[in-house]
Order: sequence, then C-alpha cells, then structure tokens
Amino acid sequence: MFGGLKEKLQAASSRLGSSIQSVVTASGSSGTGTAPQVSVPEKERLGSSPPRSVSPSLIDKFKVLVIEREMIVSKKDISDALSELELTLLESDVALPATDAIIAHVRKSIVGKQRKIGESVDSLVVGALKSALLEVLGHGFDLLGYIQTHPRPVKILFTGVNGTGKTTTVAKIGSYLKKQGFSVVIGAGDTYRAGAIEQIGVHAERLGIKIIQHPEGGDPSAVLFDTVQYANSHKIDVVLADTAGRFHNKANLMSQLEKIKRVMKPDLVVYVDEAVAGNDAVTRAFEFDKTIGADAVVLTKADMDSRGGAAISIAHTIGKPLMFIGTGQSYDDIAPFEPAQVVDELLDGGS
Amino acid sequence: MIQPMDQRELMTLQHYLKEYGQQAEIFVSQLEMLENGRMEAHAAIEALEGMMATEDGVVLLQLGAGASVRAKILEPEKVMLAIGSEVVVERKNKEAIEFLKERIMEMEASQKKVAETLDRLRSQMNEINKRLETGYQQSMAAGEE
Repeated sequence: MFGGLKEKLQAASSRLGSSIQSVVTASGSSGTGTAPQVSVPEKERLGSSPPRSVSPSLIDKFKVLVIEREMIVSKKDISDALSELELTLLESDVALPATDAIIAHVRKSIVGKQRKIGESVDSLVVGALKSALLEVLGHGFDLLGYIQTHPRPVKILFTGVNGTGKTTTVAKIGSYLKKQGFSVVIGAGDTYRAGAIEQIGVHAERLGIKIIQHPEGGDPSAVLFDTVQYANSHKIDVVLADTAGRFHNKANLMSQLEKIKRVMKPDLVVYVDEAVAGNDAVTRAFEFDKTIGADAVVLTKADMDSRGGAAISIAHTIGKPLMFIGTGQSYDDIAPFEPAQVVDELLDGGS
Repeated sequence: MIQPMDQRELMTLQHYLKEYGQQAEIFVSQLEMLENGRMEAHAAIEALEGMMATEDGVVLLQLGAGASVRAKILEPEKVMLAIGSEVVVERKNKEAIEFLKERIMEMEASQKKVAETLDRLRSQMNEINKRLETGYQQSMAAGEE
C-alpha cells in the first residue's frame, strides 16, 4: 500500500537530512567524525578550543565537545530540500493545502530551533516529517468507541459516487462489526442499480447478517426507514444503510439523498471513494460534504494505490476523518485507519 | 440416482457470478484507463524528443476535428507539466521526459496489480461456471430420470 509514496518520502527525508548534514559539515569542518554536525549560527556550550595535535584520545574528546554544542538550522539551509519535498508530495497527488501544511510544519519543526549537535539528523528529519504527516492525517475515527458511547441503534448512511465499492464496503464493515460483537442490520437502499439489491443480499447471506430489501426501483427512503424500524424493534446495535452511487452535481439524486437523511436520521454519514482516484477523490469528498454533509470517509482499493495522495490529504482538505481503508477483495480486507501506523510504515520502512 | 443441485445453491452461484462479473468490468475499465494514460505519456515523450530534434522548432499543432496548423515552438527547452494535485510546474525538456518515464513505470506497476486481481477474479468465475455447469447437468439428468 502506498509503495510509491513511501519510496519518495524516504528519499525526500534523506535529502532533507543531507542538507542539514552538509551545512553542519561546512560550518564545523573540523573533522567531527561520525557525530552529525549542525548549522549556522552555532553557539558553544562548552567553550574549549579544538586541539592542535591529533591523537585518537583527543579526537574522541573533541567529538564529545561537538556533540554537546548546539546549532540553529536556518530557513535557507533547507529551502532546496523542502522544495523537493513539496514537489514529491504534489507528484504523489497530495492536495495542495495538505502539502502546504506539511511543508509549513516541517519548516517550523526544523528551522530556528536550537539543536544539539549530538542529536541524530535522521531522527530530527523523520521526527519532523512524522509529526507533520500526523497533523495532516488527523486522528482517524474510532467507530467502535462511537458505537459504544451512543444510543442504539447507531445508524450509518453510506454515500458516494458510482463504482467505488460502496456496497462491498458496507458488507466489509458489517463483517467487521459482527466480529467485534455488535448486531448489525443492512438496509438495501440502492434500489436504482440493476443487481445491487441481489449483490448486497448475497453479501448479507454469506455473512449471516439480516437485510431489509424492497423491490428494485422502490423508494430508498422507505427501505431505510423500515431498516431502522427493524433495528429498533429487534434491539440491533448498528444499521448500515447502502445507497445508490451518485455524482454531487446531479441535483435530483442529491435531493433524494437529502430525503433519505430526513427520513432515517443517520447518526453518521460516511463518504466512500476509491484511493486510486487520487485528488479527484478529495475534490468529490469536498463537494459531497458541502452538499449533504459527511462525518467520516472510507477509501477503498488502497492496495492498488501506489501514490497515497488521497489518503494523506482527504482528512485535512475536507476536515473529516478517514475511518477505514479497504485493501482487497475479501471481507477481512478492511482496517480502521490508524494514522500513527500509516506514518510509521511510510517513514520507518515497515511493511 | 443423481441428486440435483439445490436450486438455492444454483441461484447463489448465479449471483456470485454476476457480482464477480461486475467487479471484473470495473477492473477492465481501470486497466483501459491506465493503458490510455501510458500510451499518452509515451506519445508526449516522443513529441518532446521530436521538438528538441527539429532545427527550426516548427511542429504541426492539432486543433481538433482533423484541423492542424504549423506552429513554431518559442521555447522547446521549457515544458509546462501537470505533476499532480492540479499543479502545473515548468520543467526542462529532459526533466519532463524523466518525469513522464517515471509515471509510465508507476502506471505499469499499477497495471500489473490490477491485472493480477482480474486474473484472480476470472479464475474464481471459471470455478463458479464449472459448478454451475455441473449443477445444470445434474438438474437435467434428474429431470430425465
């Protein structure tokens, strides 16, 4: 997942580290061995002068002195490396506002702060990048915690454009919640697409989840109202409401969605799109949120997305958390989005 | 005596087949999109290289609907390139070619992944088809008896 972005980010991180390292080397230039050196201006904590004769023991002592010194990285020192990082992010389809936020955060973390020379340049850079990415990624969305702390049934409405894997996502989340011990009912609210009712019906049967269906072409609001009624009378924990895919600029379909919202009164509206759509997914999510609102986002097909742009930018750009990431064809190929885990995988070389 | 396959099982298999077929269609269209993107990038590389090779910088500019005009490229060395996220940057000709080559590699990697998934889906569909075929034959045989 996000292999291309991972490769590029690690390369950008390494270039940023090299920039700092080279400035330090230039300013220190006195053979500090392996100790990472730092930049201009620097001030000495321990003001002893460098040794004139070079013996191993003296070099060792000098290393200690250098390690104890402090340095300040200037904006200029890392401007080239930051420009490269900016292009790397944009090339990976990370949205411009998210890219700007990441660059600003990294710059703020590194520039102008006093750094001990002994502090590893790598950890400095990786630390700055990690906190920048975490800031942009947000906190994710703890669905299990949400369900546990809200009155049952918790009603979740799934929306999004056509062909992004909405129905399969509903089934996957149903399976996930069932495994976590919650009772689930699915509402087959996509009464428009041919075969959609059968499709969700097969999923529900396979998973052993109750499904409420009406004939094809029926009113989706009625199906989902019945689903909520069923959940109320059977004390079901969660209602998962599937809907037909639609584009935000189709006024009649969007007003149908508004009607569904009025009738079933969902606790959460979840926008589903595919990670491979990149920046288009971010734009569409923004438009959907503006039109009918969204509380969280699910990105599907992340296993086929090498760039990772949508996953990085969506939460920051639309201000709504990423809840789940879909990574394959089977029911278990969905996982709650854990920002810290994703950032570690991107920057620490985890799998 | 041959036991016919349960009608419910037959119907479920038909649903599976239909669902897999729909998924396969989506992956096929993704493959087509990737292939179009790859071909477009190759064409752009060829044009960028050709632009540098011409001595007078004159090219045939297509206006659409089969209409073209001769145009002179003022700065063949500078290329405006959409790098992603709706951002366009100015790159040197060679840098633009390098960028496009990287994009082609990315698209080829994605194509490989999508093709693998499609292969898996098709093999599952074949399995279902075989079971359906057996089911139909059993039903027919049971009917004849």
